[in-house]
Amino acid sequence: MILVISTCKYGLSEEEFVRPIAEIVEKAGFRYEIKRYKEKIDPKKYDKAIICGTALKDFEYLENMERFEWIHEFEGHILGICAGYQVIASLFGQKLERAERIGVYEVEVLKENPLAEKTFRAFFLHKLALKSAECVEPLAVQGDVICMFWIRKFYGVSFHPEVLNPEIVERFLKI
Amino acid sequence: MKVCVLYSGGKDSNLALLKASEEFEVACLVSLMPESAESEIFHYPNVELVELQAKALNLPLIVERCSSDERRSMEALERVLRTAIKEFGVEGVVTGAIRSTYQATRFQRVCDRLDLWCFNPLWLRDEISILEEVLARGFEVIFVRVSGIDRSLLGKRLDEEVIRALAEMRNYANPAGEGGEYETLVLKMPLFRKKIEIIDAEVVGSEFDSMLLVKRGELV
Repeated sequence: MILVISTCKYGLSEEEFVRPIAEIVEKAGFRYEIKRYKEKIDPKKYDKAIICGTALKDFEYLENMERFEWIHEFEGHILGICAGYQVIASLFGQKLERAERIGVYEVEVLKENPLAEKTFRAFFLHKLALKSAECVEPLAVQGDVICMFWIRKFYGVSFHPEVLNPEIVERFLKI
Repeated sequence: MKVCVLYSGGKDSNLALLKASEEFEVACLVSLMPESAESEIFHYPNVELVELQAKALNLPLIVERCSSDERRSMEALERVLRTAIKEFGVEGVVTGAIRSTYQATRFQRVCDRLDLWCFNPLWLRDEISILEEVLARGFEVIFVRVSGIDRSLLGKRLDEEVIRALAEMRNYANPAGEGGEYETLVLKMPLFRKKIEIIDAEVVGSEFDSMLLVKRGELV
């Protein structure tokens, strides 16, 4: 069972940031459950988790980081998308910096990994990201932004793969 | 939160409006009217009919004319949104954008500059599922512009048979008209207090790009 987490403050944003991910998961033939990040989560129920993005102006999830403490006990893989990337980075003590990306940009893969092998274009929508890394391993960059990283069994991508790169989500599901 | 809806009068902006009204207070509609049908960002609507739709919705409408040039279109969008903020206190914008990253990027950047929330409830939706939802929610929709696909669609109502036909065209045309294949006009939807009746209309354009120019419509 795949856990799909909404980080959205407003339900209308879920149509934009959560539904497309759930559709990719369903199309790939996996069962899933959608939970809002403020709901109680039992990490033992799920094999993998995807933490979805939210609106550009939404930062409420960063003020509620205690709601993501369950991640430390989670034994499966996690894919954090945009807001989810920020959550994973913050949980592991990384410093998010002001880094605005709105639109389609080229991603340079630094290290071949199960999600991406070579340069590709992706849709970005964020104001905060990592520019340096201490305990996470950078996997890809967009200019001075680390747009893909890896720590333990958790991946963070600062772009939105559901827009131009659904295969990244599909590859994650197959890990 | 008070929001405004970027409104063209077609099926997508009306469905986005309906979804927005289920969570937020829709304070006004904003419409950009391109002077030419070549605009890459905004729908080229029957202008007077959008005013009639706003009346049917009992919502204020802010209209701004713009050229098809991208920079000027975006300046016009920024102006119209500034008016919506000033006159109606809106904090967010709702659009019917489906798949164009070109359009989405520009809307998101303008909203960011104006410190507005941006909501795109149809984003990445399967095009056929949008048509099915529109029908299931009781919309009455007609085709008012057809370009490069079956011209007999012009003036037709959206129904299950038309949806099947559009689904069959999927390999060479976007079923939601995202590639400019067609434009629609909503005559009735659940938030309309009255329905629009077309009294006088004329088909204009060429065999490959035809438009149903509505000269007169009424609320009934």
